[in-house]
Amino acid sequence: MIKRWLTGFGITAYLGTLLFGIVSHAANFQDGSHPSMYFIVWDMFCGWSAYETRTHIVGQGVSGKYYELSPGPWGDYQPYSNISRHHYDSFNLNPQTIAVNCLKHTAHEPMTRLYVVEEAWAKKYNLPESLWKQRYSEPKEPYSYFHLRTVMTPEGQVTGNSVNWLGYQTNFTISDNPRLQRESRTSAPMFMVRPMSETSSPSAN
Amino acid sequence: MTSTSHHYNNETPSGLRARIGKFFFAEETPFGLALVRIVICIACLLVTVPRWIHSRELFSTDGAPTPLALNYGYPDLLPIPSGGLAVALMTILTFCCATACIGWCTRASLAISAVLYTYLNLLDSISTMTKYSVITSHVLFLLAFSHCGAVWSVDAWLRRRRLGLPHPRSLADHPKFAAWPRRLIQLLIGVVYFGASVTKMHTPAYFSGDQLWHWMITNVNNANPVGEWMTLYPAFLVVFAYLCVIWEILFVFLSWRGWGRVCMLAMGVGFHVMTTLTLGLYLFPLTCIATYFAFVNSEDIVAAAARWRHLKRRHGETWLPRLAAVTRLPRAFSSAVISLLKPVGQRLTPAGSLGVFGLLLTVVSVGAVEVEYRLDIYSERGPDGPLALKEIDPDVAKLMFAGSVRLREYDKLLAFDIGSNIFGGMITGVRDTFHYGDSVIAQCTLSPPHEDMWIECNLHDANNVLIDRVGQIVVRSQLRGNFLYRACDALDPGTYFLVLRTGTQELTRRKIEILPNDAARCRINAN
Repeated sequence: MIKRWLTGFGITAYLGTLLFGIVSHAANFQDGSHPSMYFIVWDMFCGWSAYETRTHIVGQGVSGKYYELSPGPWGDYQPYSNISRHHYDSFNLNPQTIAVNCLKHTAHEPMTRLYVVEEAWAKKYNLPESLWKQRYSEPKEPYSYFHLRTVMTPEGQVTGNSVNWLGYQTNFTISDNPRLQRESRTSAPMFMVRPMSETSSPSAN
Repeated sequence: MTSTSHHYNNETPSGLRARIGKFFFAEETPFGLALVRIVICIACLLVTVPRWIHSRELFSTDGAPTPLALNYGYPDLLPIPSGGLAVALMTILTFCCATACIGWCTRASLAISAVLYTYLNLLDSISTMTKYSVITSHVLFLLAFSHCGAVWSVDAWLRRRRLGLPHPRSLADHPKFAAWPRRLIQLLIGVVYFGASVTKMHTPAYFSGDQLWHWMITNVNNANPVGEWMTLYPAFLVVFAYLCVIWEILFVFLSWRGWGRVCMLAMGVGFHVMTTLTLGLYLFPLTCIATYFAFVNSEDIVAAAARWRHLKRRHGETWLPRLAAVTRLPRAFSSAVISLLKPVGQRLTPAGSLGVFGLLLTVVSVGAVEVEYRLDIYSERGPDGPLALKEIDPDVAKLMFAGSVRLREYDKLLAFDIGSNIFGGMITGVRDTFHYGDSVIAQCTLSPPHEDMWIECNLHDANNVLIDRVGQIVVRSQLRGNFLYRACDALDPGTYFLVLRTGTQELTRRKIEILPNDAARCRINAN
């Protein structure tokens, strides 16, 4: 009987957890509060972009030469397709770990700076030539945009970070507005104190 | 619940509590769970075997682990193992997935697999941890509490050998256990689909087909030529988008019995096969389809066995010899293994089996650590020492650091389609020949992000002389602009061009033919 009660409790707890995940996801309530939420929030394919992006992790030596820091010279690891692992770091949270690991296991001249450069191109250029011809009357001429995302010391300490390429381009679409530009200039943020630790006022961010 | 009712209680349960009790605690032979165990472990092995050689790089302090907890602001939530330990853990995980698949020390194998699979996945958020990993973790965890090793397993075979039991001939000869682990796996996959439908409801671009369109031309998964081809027919994507959401919502409610179960599972298999063809996914469909075996109950297995016997009796003479010829080699191998293991099986107690399992696991793990060390994945201990970094072509480096530029106008254009009908907001029946009286709809599809844009769709004659100019503002939140012309006798039959322009430049043009039609009379009319 005790076993049955324990089993019943386990079933209830498990189903309750799954239900909490659904409610949390539906209401955007605490859905990113803890890593455990990743196990109960089912947000597959939640985002999309019209541009394909790749990440280049680059080191600049004292000679001024640039070196590829991922994939490492020992070989590439491609988890799902024919693209390397570091390209899946969509939030740019781990380039320093990858870069420093590469430097640790290779022979190289002293480095001055490490960089993360984002490359982006319109996804329509991913179409094979045969389908391109059916959809577009122009010849296929792919074009890549490059955007410096992060600057790091040779030890992996981040010294500069900028918004990602898509955010950078999105900002243009909004800021091309004389009224908005004028108003934003007249109300430049000025903090006598930084109240961020006390409140979460949007103006403080 | 047709599956288990008569095993548990032939009487109809009276109250809700009794019905819930029957749902979870009716006793049944765990055939479905055994199938889930076998398939999910194969899916796990497809993850762990190719990653084994990269264990040091992905999961250890001697590599570049990328813990999931970092994304949530908990960088030190889990300890990161050393290189050798990571290899050992990955080896143990692979070994336990294999033994769970064949059903040897099933419960221990599944418990170890569940813990290690989850732990190692949590250490590599960018290339190992995905939502199929999460589903797998749930399933391994639930299977570890079940008796899925009681049938179709080495454990069951050893048990029969030890107790001198004959090979089971009927359902009654198999052991029976409470159904709740199977029920929880059923509910899990239903909840996963329901949650996925919530995600889609949160994404307006999903229902317009734009999200699907872009995923189908994304190259971050495996090759997906069918998906790329389907982008030529975007209206179908809208239909599939709605069908998919309806199915995902209904699954948890209808997949329990009768035709509802058949339809929901068939649609599920169809959906997952399509994700392989159109999005290039392999492991996600395999993982989800593995859970579908939880919907297989004892009666299904009995019915399938009866059908198989009937088929053998009726047509066996024709194809059984051929099947025997094809399977001669694997049968010879399996019978040799069985005859080799038979004497061992008669003597092996559960404790002895666990001892052999532990010993073998230790030997394999230690051996794997040694092999990986000798392989020297970073090539640091070779005669020339560590490898040199690869220099980037100076021209490429110059491009990389040239500074960010604004989007080209042409890159903001995704498609320019001409047709006569619109379905789900998309042009259908794309064509370039129109008769008098036909509507000529030109649709310009833009890629986000774009600013508020002035878009013109102008009609030019064969000599490129502008005949008609029509423009509209497409605001930044819009992705489509439609332009309606009517082919009419104000236009001489012949060749024309529809030219798409932004405020500053021509983006693209399409050639159309306008042919006469006696029946229709109209006047030129755009928008």
